[in-house]
Amino acid sequence: MSEIYGWTGEILRVDLSSGEISIVDTMKYVPDFIGGLGIASRIAWEELSPDIDAFDPENPLFIMVGPLTGTIASGAGRVEILGIAPQQHPPVFSRSGMGGHWGAELKYAGYDGVIVQGRAEMPVYLWIHDAQAEILDASNLWGRGTYGTTKALRAIHGSNTRVISCGQAGEHLSRIAVIQTETGNAAGQGGFGGVMGSKKLKAIAVRGTMGVKVARPQEFFDLSINAGRESQWPSGFRRRRRWDARGVQTDRDGNILRRRKCGFCVSPCGYRIRENVQATDGSSIPSVAQHCWGYMGNSQTVDPVARAITSDYGLNGWEITYGMIPWLQMCKQHGLIDKVDSVDIPVPDDPIEYMRDTEPYSSEFIHTLLRKMAFREGELGDALADGTCYAADRLFSGEGIPFLDRIYPRHCGQTAHWAGHWGPGGAVYWPWWLPPVLQWCTDTRDPASDSTHQWTEHVQPYMPESGPHRGPFSLEKVSAICARVYGNPDILNPAFEYDPPELKAIPAIWHSHRAMIVDSLILCDREHSRVFSMKSEDGAADTALMSKLLSVCTGYDVSERELDRAGERIWNQLRAIDVRNFGRGRAIDESTIDGFMYPGKDDGVMLDRGKFLTLLDKYYELSGWSLANGCPTRAKLEELGLGDVADELERMGKLT
Amino acid sequence: MTDLTEKDETVENIPQLQRSGVIEVDEDLCLTCRECEVFCSLYHEGECNPNVSRIRVSYDDFVPGPPSIAVCKQCDWPACYYACASRWDEPAILIDKVTGARYIDSGKCRGCGACARACPLMPDQPVIGFRQGRRRIYFKCDLCHDRAEGPVCVQICPGNAIRFIPAEERSK
Repeated sequence: MSEIYGWTGEILRVDLSSGEISIVDTMKYVPDFIGGLGIASRIAWEELSPDIDAFDPENPLFIMVGPLTGTIASGAGRVEILGIAPQQHPPVFSRSGMGGHWGAELKYAGYDGVIVQGRAEMPVYLWIHDAQAEILDASNLWGRGTYGTTKALRAIHGSNTRVISCGQAGEHLSRIAVIQTETGNAAGQGGFGGVMGSKKLKAIAVRGTMGVKVARPQEFFDLSINAGRESQWPSGFRRRRRWDARGVQTDRDGNILRRRKCGFCVSPCGYRIRENVQATDGSSIPSVAQHCWGYMGNSQTVDPVARAITSDYGLNGWEITYGMIPWLQMCKQHGLIDKVDSVDIPVPDDPIEYMRDTEPYSSEFIHTLLRKMAFREGELGDALADGTCYAADRLFSGEGIPFLDRIYPRHCGQTAHWAGHWGPGGAVYWPWWLPPVLQWCTDTRDPASDSTHQWTEHVQPYMPESGPHRGPFSLEKVSAICARVYGNPDILNPAFEYDPPELKAIPAIWHSHRAMIVDSLILCDREHSRVFSMKSEDGAADTALMSKLLSVCTGYDVSERELDRAGERIWNQLRAIDVRNFGRGRAIDESTIDGFMYPGKDDGVMLDRGKFLTLLDKYYELSGWSLANGCPTRAKLEELGLGDVADELERMGKLT
Repeated sequence: MTDLTEKDETVENIPQLQRSGVIEVDEDLCLTCRECEVFCSLYHEGECNPNVSRIRVSYDDFVPGPPSIAVCKQCDWPACYYACASRWDEPAILIDKVTGARYIDSGKCRGCGACARACPLMPDQPVIGFRQGRRRIYFKCDLCHDRAEGPVCVQICPGNAIRFIPAEERSK
């Protein structure tokens, strides 16, 4: 076999029921499906039978890395996790990603991914090291949090061991259990920690010393070192200086704060970690001080112990903060509930319309809530452990269901985020939240993991105006760049709202396809794919950057056009799984609109359902999807080399 | 305790070498992204692999304190250099005329490991490593002395934690 660059060439497949460990050949799937999410989507299409549930042993848990993982390409520390996601309402095949150091370590250990199927009889963990994998007994880890699990596995396998694990929440099959690594990174959305728990898989410990081979080292080096200089938001320079000046800090309680970043990234993004926070049991633990979510406050005012406990239990803090607690407060305002155990649920005086209207709460409240969920204590803890959407179905005779309307686009079971409505996150102003809403309608999860992030990070901050925000570029400059990138100069022109509809459909599709590439290479959505640049003369980013990085790293010459086509192929492959296995179609896409039928949080603009449907029609038309049922057409699938997908969908009567 | 990187005053007949510049790290500024490791290993070894990087970052979130970063200190009295020179007629550790870097010429390295055994920082700080081919080839930081832009780790560090100090600016 000729030398393989970028990829390692092997994906590990582990069947916990039989104890069998085998290898899937990565090279069967590349470059058509790139790696990471792309390869997982193809294998899932080939293997996923129609009637399995998220907690079924046969639900395949894909933990994937890509050809660029662990390399010098900035943002190359990420992992992509796929499977049938229990948090989704109802469960569908979906994805979640995380940064940190685990992904690169898996690559250095010789694998492009791990596929876990089956269910072990007794708790186990996987130990993967330099092209070897073992299933080992985890009886003495079961019942521990993610912190304790990580420490115990490092004691056994060495301090350089990288660990992902589920906490007590995952063991108790919580639908909002995360897969945690270290203290600061987790695959949060989707409930994949619960999938680990259902397989009796406590952790995966990895240590690798093998490195990633590069086809054209000098070119890869030159390209990345220049691309690294590009790693700024328009406001990024100020942010970077502030960091440099501070270094180590001390918070008001005397805890030391240290700076941290995900592995293998040079962007100015990052977080802080508090050392030696006093846990409730008297021990001393580290706690992440600032990521993008917090418990009702900024990095200095949040309860650091609550943050640490959330990660240790392996719970989805995002869901709890921005969905569950606001919903509980609304339920209390309507007399459905008063306390959690003996602790009052704090409520504001006025009705809650947006996330910003909610009431801060005490440490005692959040600690109690977390404990009840992690251990499924009582009826309330048992219900809330499944996330707010499932809890609402079960609690208060369903009377809390109407309060979900503002928070959750129901089908995905995750809080509305970065599409101009509920909150939280950066402001997205009318009409710029129309493309993100289109992305919400067509995705299986909160698309902020990859698609809408691109819009908010790489597009809106550069525009001359969006709401009160003033970006650095003139409309003339923006239009010239839009003409080149999207093929239409008016994409970002504020003079246009719903009409013509392609002005919103084109960028929604473009960024979704690019998101698939980012998740397959795997890079970070906060680094890629850029549209604008503060470094280039004309203000345009090098949109061919990802294809260049892939080409010089792997030696496969993939043009920008071919890579975009691969992104489209993966997006359609995922859509086909959703259509075939989960009845996805126009009706579900349209039902997502209900989650946005109230005035935008920053601009008060109301979505016009009738006009929005013209955008959705245009989205389908430009995607090559059927206007009638939202299924990819045969012509489109064949154009993407997915003729077998078309055949199977036709047999099911899905092609119109 | 004796500082072995300082001159041993009892040794009179060893001439003072040209002083070297050095990589200095402020560990409190380190973001633990480990970009330095992969850039270093790609530049020098042609692959992305922290295990063959000449600068090594190690940290554990569960152990308080700054990360520990190991990189050659380019000693005024380099034990590695003397160990190699005393063992071989044609030593593999050379002095770069511009930066003063004590560097290993991989074409000349015979893999004896005398440098690594002599280094006062080893093995607690893994500043000298080796690749296992037909024989071992040792490597350590050479200040990227063949690179016009200077050390790559300094250039790439997003936390500005790594600095290059030229010989003339080094404290005594």
